[in-house]
Amino acid sequence: MKTKRIACIAMAGLMAASLAGCGSGDDKTEATTEATKAATEATGSDSADDTTAAAADGIKSYADIQLGTDFTDLSAEIKFYNNRTDLDSDEYNGKNWKQYLEDFNKEYPNIKVDVITDTNYADDALTHLQSGNYETVMCIPAVDMADLSTYFMSFGDYDTMSQLVNYSNRWLYHGQVYGVPLTATTQGIVYNKKVFADAGVTDVPKTPEEFIAALKAIKEKNPDCIPLYTNYAAGWTMGAWDDYISITATGDATYKNQKLAHTKDPFKNYGDDTHAYAVYKILYDAVSQGLTEDDYATTDWESCKGMINNGEIGCMVLGSWAYPQMEAGGPNADDIGYIPFPISVNGKQYASSGADYCYGINVNASDDEKQAALVFVKWMTEKSGYAYNEDSLALVPGSESKIAFDGVDFVADEAALEGEEDYLNQLNSESELNVSNGGNDKIQAIIEHAANGDMSFDDIMAEWNQKWSDAQESLGIEANQE
Amino acid sequence: MANKKQSGFGKWASSRKGQQVIICAAFAIIPLLLLLVFTYIPFGEMVKFSFYKMKYTTPVEKREFVGLKNYIDVFTRSDCFGALKLSLYYIVGALVQLVLALFLATLLSFRVKGGNLFKGLIFFPYLISGIAVGFIFKFFFTRGFVFDSILQLCGFNLDNLPYWLKDQSINNWTLVSTSVWRYLGQMMVLFIGAIMSVDAELYEAAELDGANKFQQFRYIILPSIKTIVTLNVILAITGSLSAFEQPFVITTGANGTGTYFIIMNKIAHTSQKVGLASAMAVVLLLIILICAGLQKLFFEYIFKDSSADDESYKAKKLRKKQEKDTRKYMKQMTASAKGGK
Repeated sequence: MKTKRIACIAMAGLMAASLAGCGSGDDKTEATTEATKAATEATGSDSADDTTAAAADGIKSYADIQLGTDFTDLSAEIKFYNNRTDLDSDEYNGKNWKQYLEDFNKEYPNIKVDVITDTNYADDALTHLQSGNYETVMCIPAVDMADLSTYFMSFGDYDTMSQLVNYSNRWLYHGQVYGVPLTATTQGIVYNKKVFADAGVTDVPKTPEEFIAALKAIKEKNPDCIPLYTNYAAGWTMGAWDDYISITATGDATYKNQKLAHTKDPFKNYGDDTHAYAVYKILYDAVSQGLTEDDYATTDWESCKGMINNGEIGCMVLGSWAYPQMEAGGPNADDIGYIPFPISVNGKQYASSGADYCYGINVNASDDEKQAALVFVKWMTEKSGYAYNEDSLALVPGSESKIAFDGVDFVADEAALEGEEDYLNQLNSESELNVSNGGNDKIQAIIEHAANGDMSFDDIMAEWNQKWSDAQESLGIEANQE
Repeated sequence: MANKKQSGFGKWASSRKGQQVIICAAFAIIPLLLLLVFTYIPFGEMVKFSFYKMKYTTPVEKREFVGLKNYIDVFTRSDCFGALKLSLYYIVGALVQLVLALFLATLLSFRVKGGNLFKGLIFFPYLISGIAVGFIFKFFFTRGFVFDSILQLCGFNLDNLPYWLKDQSINNWTLVSTSVWRYLGQMMVLFIGAIMSVDAELYEAAELDGANKFQQFRYIILPSIKTIVTLNVILAITGSLSAFEQPFVITTGANGTGTYFIIMNKIAHTSQKVGLASAMAVVLLLIILICAGLQKLFFEYIFKDSSADDESYKAKKLRKKQEKDTRKYMKQMTASAKGGK
């Protein structure tokens, strides 16, 4: 009994003591985070005011670095965090990270780059940022534009950067460029030329009707072939459909970042086979007419590469980044082709082109590390051949690329208007539609409803319009665009 | 004065009692600190988040306090609370699993030919990683693949078989079955362990008294392992309420298989409504606490016979009643005696 009581008191005392300990610990960490924040705010505002601020700190800016001559004796150790786990492998069907770094170290022997890759990058990168302890160079995950300067340093102002790198407006905030793209992709359809030709489809379909007719022709010619493979189960392959609703479906470079947030009912039927409605309708119609795989719940991403390569699949709606993977999926690389999405705006086809992940440099890194990181990013972009190897569109103006659409205009999304950078993000979060932001489940639902026949396409679009309008209202964003 | 106190403390610290306390404290401080830092403080933060409208990356000063709005949303949104309905599938599965595990454990705890082999085979699925299980079952249930082929060998016609993961009327049962497959062995092993600790002499005595195997199970085994049974039921039910792994790895929660956890994950990580997701987590915690409490009451009732130490519940009740009656009688007697006076 007595021992119990003693233990009790001891425990109580201990709890109190540890609580107190924790309290003071908390204060301390708060103080330090506040200090770092103040510091970052200072640097952030510095670089926002003046591009040469970076130079004033003793760092040579991205634009001023002469590759091969500057900083070849700089000694630093930096970390590069990214999502390309496949490039970690020696069996990768192309140049892997090790080979890139070997080439880099030939010119910069004392800059040691530690590449860290992650299969769950999009989520983990946010966690890294939130912890405050993140890598020197990383692919910028989905952060709010307003928080960019808290985490990353500016590469320079847009006027300078846009001369050097295409698509540098991906992370543009208050005139400053915070991200340089690793690759840039376009959006179209990857298809098997042989399957299309065998079914008598010789002209590339340019409208939804022509496309559905082509799928039907494939189905008739060869009932065992899946005309359009949805890749439903993988999830993110579904979210990819969102990428077709802006430039591809409207031909308007300002649609995604400037108009969509202000559009009243963006998912309504415009009546001319354009806009988001027409894009998703292709999917709904294909599924409801049995032109997709039989059992969508068990589709498999890895198998689809071999299937399309062997002619068991007619086509898939995927970004151009998937093109090389489908070619490598089997022995028939020559059968695989890439065509624009079948939507014409006033008789003209458009393809969006835009940055994929972008390099961001840790704003809290030491000067040497920042300088080394800048050198590394510039080298990767201009000298490594990474973009060409990975089938990117041309990143450095005038450089070569593997993808060319005939008679199709490439248009890049324009950045949001100043002060409205966060609108799309906020609307996505508030409406939970997550357009081009991981909203896979809403597109999966289209397939489910089309297959089960329990909800008409117009009802689905009406529901989305409602969600979008509610979000616009609760955020106080004006819906003044048609 | 202070000096005196200190020397007093020193005396206490070197005394036997003082030493005891200090050593206890020193040993306890590390686990308690870990518990606090990795469980209670993050939990407290989460409760705090549930009153804010924020994303993960929103800096502290920009988080917007919204009071109880998130909690109201949890109860009014159809997808949040409605997802708990799916837990019913998993609860049914958990009960089936419990009965099956108890049955197999009882069988295997008697002498069975190849008993260890069976134990191993049934326990094996638990050792496979959850992600691998996801891949295995996606192919297992693919149209015309493993499962359909096996059924066709048994004489089923492919045209009469449902689409195991596509058909929304059965896909949740499909997922529940994989969950049962995975956790049955683990539960069984726990039961076997508990049954092993039952004194073998009791069976002998019961056999001499003419008890059959079922009676032995009912009156010897079950009461002896009631703590483990209760624990397993509580774990199974809370596990069902927070079902996540099977739907996440097999169907990614699409096609009507999004459980409460899956929805919470989507809201927190895709839509970045951290406040709402935190509120969902707190609500789930409360639901689990209530369920655990109800179960405790339920089991106290079920096992009332065995919780009475030496006498059976009925005997105890009878004795209490007799005592009460005696008291009543005495009272009446004294009252009447008083009245008589």
